[in-house]
Amino acid sequence: MSTSRNDILQGTLTLLVLKTLASNKRMHGYAITTHVQRVSADLLRVEEGSLYPALHRMEQQGWLRSEWGLTEKNREARFYSLTGLGRKQLALEEESWARFTEGVGRVLRYV
Amino acid sequence: MPWLRRLLNTFRPGRVQRDIDREISFHLAERADQLRSEGIGPEEANRRARLQFGNPVVQRERTWDVDIARAVDATMRNTRYAFRTLTRTPGFTVTVVLTLALGIGANTAVFSAIDTVLLRPLSFPDGDRLVELTQVREGSGETRIAPVRLQDWNRLNVTFDGIAGHYVDDIVDTRGELPERFRRAFVTRGFFDVLKVTPAIGRGFVASEHTVAQPIANIISDRRWRRLGADPLIVGRAVKMQYASIITIGVMPADFQFPASDVDMWSADDADAPWAQSRALTWLTGIGRLRQGVTLAQAETDLNRVQTYLASQYPDTDRDVRVRVTPLKDTVVGDSRASLWLLFGSVSVLLLIACTNIAALLLSRAANREQEISVRYSLGGSRRAVVAQLLTEAAVLATSGALVGFLLAVIASRAFRSLAPELPRVNEITVDGRILLYTIASTVIVALLCGLVPALRGARGVRPLRSSAHTSLSQRHLIQWLLVGVQVALSVTLLAGAGLLLRSVEALSRVDFGFDSSHVLTLHVSGTYGWETTDMHVQRINRVIDEVGALPGVESVAVTSTLPGVRDEQQLEFTLAEGRSDSAPRTFAETRVVSPAYFQTLRIPLLTLVNRRFADLYLPDREVIGLHLSGGLDGLVKNGHLFGNPPPSRIVGIVGDARETGADRAPAPTVYTCFSAPTPAPWHLVRTNGDPLAMAETVRRKIHELEPQRSVYDVAPLEGRMGDAYAQNRVRTWLLTLFALTALALVCAGVYGTLSYAVGLRRREVALRLALGALRRSVVHQLTTTSIRIVGTASAIGLVLALVFTQSLSTMLYGVTPTDPATLGGVMLLVVAVALIAAFIPAARATFVQPMRALREE
Repeated sequence: MSTSRNDILQGTLTLLVLKTLASNKRMHGYAITTHVQRVSADLLRVEEGSLYPALHRMEQQGWLRSEWGLTEKNREARFYSLTGLGRKQLALEEESWARFTEGVGRVLRYV
Repeated sequence: MPWLRRLLNTFRPGRVQRDIDREISFHLAERADQLRSEGIGPEEANRRARLQFGNPVVQRERTWDVDIARAVDATMRNTRYAFRTLTRTPGFTVTVVLTLALGIGANTAVFSAIDTVLLRPLSFPDGDRLVELTQVREGSGETRIAPVRLQDWNRLNVTFDGIAGHYVDDIVDTRGELPERFRRAFVTRGFFDVLKVTPAIGRGFVASEHTVAQPIANIISDRRWRRLGADPLIVGRAVKMQYASIITIGVMPADFQFPASDVDMWSADDADAPWAQSRALTWLTGIGRLRQGVTLAQAETDLNRVQTYLASQYPDTDRDVRVRVTPLKDTVVGDSRASLWLLFGSVSVLLLIACTNIAALLLSRAANREQEISVRYSLGGSRRAVVAQLLTEAAVLATSGALVGFLLAVIASRAFRSLAPELPRVNEITVDGRILLYTIASTVIVALLCGLVPALRGARGVRPLRSSAHTSLSQRHLIQWLLVGVQVALSVTLLAGAGLLLRSVEALSRVDFGFDSSHVLTLHVSGTYGWETTDMHVQRINRVIDEVGALPGVESVAVTSTLPGVRDEQQLEFTLAEGRSDSAPRTFAETRVVSPAYFQTLRIPLLTLVNRRFADLYLPDREVIGLHLSGGLDGLVKNGHLFGNPPPSRIVGIVGDARETGADRAPAPTVYTCFSAPTPAPWHLVRTNGDPLAMAETVRRKIHELEPQRSVYDVAPLEGRMGDAYAQNRVRTWLLTLFALTALALVCAGVYGTLSYAVGLRRREVALRLALGALRRSVVHQLTTTSIRIVGTASAIGLVLALVFTQSLSTMLYGVTPTDPATLGGVMLLVVAVALIAAFIPAARATFVQPMRALREE
């Protein structure tokens, strides 16, 4: 496994999943990992082991809903989609992420 | 409903695990596909996919943990919080827990009795297939069966696994210092096979033991075996007892108590004895085990088909005989069914009242906590979380109540044995897993009943932080008053039932029996059929009557076949030898066989053969004395003492009507036959000058002197026995009264609490009115108007409910109708008066506030 790829910071996984599902109507877990990897130009990689507990936790918070369905390859998969509550949560998390990066940026820029 | 799914998930981990497994394996398959498309071999692709994912077992468990951990966590947190808030108001908590403990405890205790006595099959293997067989013959009260006829039924039927019979008699063990009498059941072949029971020690009877040629074989009860020293080697030993030597071949298990709990010995009957060959001599009670899948109706049809055939074979004896089949459980349970359901119904209504009461309390409590709940909403708590929190509180209260209640039920079910010893199967009552399950189920229901309305109400909408409790009060008020109304209505119903039963008891106590039951000692002197002729019985009993009657302090002595004043009926048909018109009703009458001094001993006016009612009903406008009656005594004849047809007996006079069959029965037409030995051990009635019990020892010693081989037993004053006959009545009346008064107390607390709360909220308003010069009286009037209206309406509704409820009591009432206006009106007045007093106190207190202080408070 290459060390140059960033493992996703604890806590940002939620944001990434929410954002991914906000731009795609319904996706299964595997598609979420490949989407994050592709869109981030291979800079980010979802740790697969953390993904499913996170998905289940988010479903319980009421941010996601899930249902079983068939993929194009006719495999059974669990598809996740965003709920209204999830959309609100996404807005909150985007805002706090912006504040966080701005804060970190300011600290780094300060000489 | 996600919480429901999660709750179900915790109980069905298999399904969740499978779901997670499916999800993970899908992921691995997709990853492997991708790796393969990059040119990696299939096995290597699978290996890498798995490596990248990490340990699937660990992942699965982590994912699964998320599902249940949250639910468990939230429940734990809610429970802890509930405990904290509840311990902060110990008075409230203790009151509620105790109320629930009593409610759930009483309910569980009564249910344990219902479960054992009514719901469970008899404690025999496949006990639901056991039936009792009786023969029915028009005009005869005789239900017992001739041994040969029972054998025919057993041989010719196609619906029974087996049919057997039993017959209970006394036996006296004379080996001790005093002769000791106990009960023995003679049983026919196959008796224990029908019941599917085997002795704990030794063996059952074999066919050859049911013959005259073999000495009588006996099996004894566990109780008797222990009394005899619990000798494990008792089997096979012969003992001389009374007239013959008997052999013990086995000991029954301790829980075997059939046909009666006082039977201590089972003996093989002699099927080939000469007296057992007659089709006219009936003494056996039949039992049978239905074949698998056979219904009662089929069995009865089958046996009646058999009996029709027998009638063609033996027209003289079998022509009019029919067969009735009843579940053995029914004959064991008897008439306690109605009483038990009545108690269960009323104790459940009481629990419902308690729940309603507590719901109202919790509602006021939730209102007081509006501030706290508003804060939780403002901090982002969800409505669901608040409802869960409030429900958890109710659940904690209900569970604590149930824990204490269950302990109470365990104690109460023991108390049943001493409180209601005549309740059938009372010794089988235990508190076991089923009862625990029942308690748990009722706890859940109670928690929902108490908690749901307050929780939904309390968690309603988001309120601004600076809420004052004055907003949207009227609606909450409405619900609280509705709850009070339910309590009032239900308690009117309960009180009406209790009131009617109390009036019945009171009416019964005022009944004139027509005889004087005071200063009469009753007892038995043991005696059995078989070893004496009827003449010997008569001589022996007459001697006891004469000698005991000569004792100083004894006024007179008599014997009777049936105890007076205790429910025991024997209706038989008579015919008048002189003939009556054809249109006259058939002559059925109570039959009592008594010795000459009976009427003197019981102080029933004048002596003779029929009572006034018999003469008026059947022989109006005729000179009764000197007519001749026949029939009626068939039962006595068949019991084997008076062979041959006795000549019609002469009516020698008329006696006054007496309530011989019990206080609640009008005197029935009765024929008294003068004969000293109606049975070998008839009831002896001894009229004494003083306290009858004080004479008991003297009488006993005298009889022992006369009859050293016989035991004197069942010694008690007649008055006590007549009281015992209605013990079940009294127990159920007092219990229902207790429940009803508890309900009234709860209503009182409910009205008081609700009005106190409502008045508390209007303190400012009241203060303002007073400050502006309103009269105290008019303020009190205004504050109590709602309560008066609610209580009035609710008790009217309760009255309607009561009318329905008391209909089901009609068979238990005496001297009062289910719709008795005085009782129902009185009950309504009582409830309304009590409720008004409960409402007046908080209203009056509110008017004594210092107006200025109340106004400055907020």
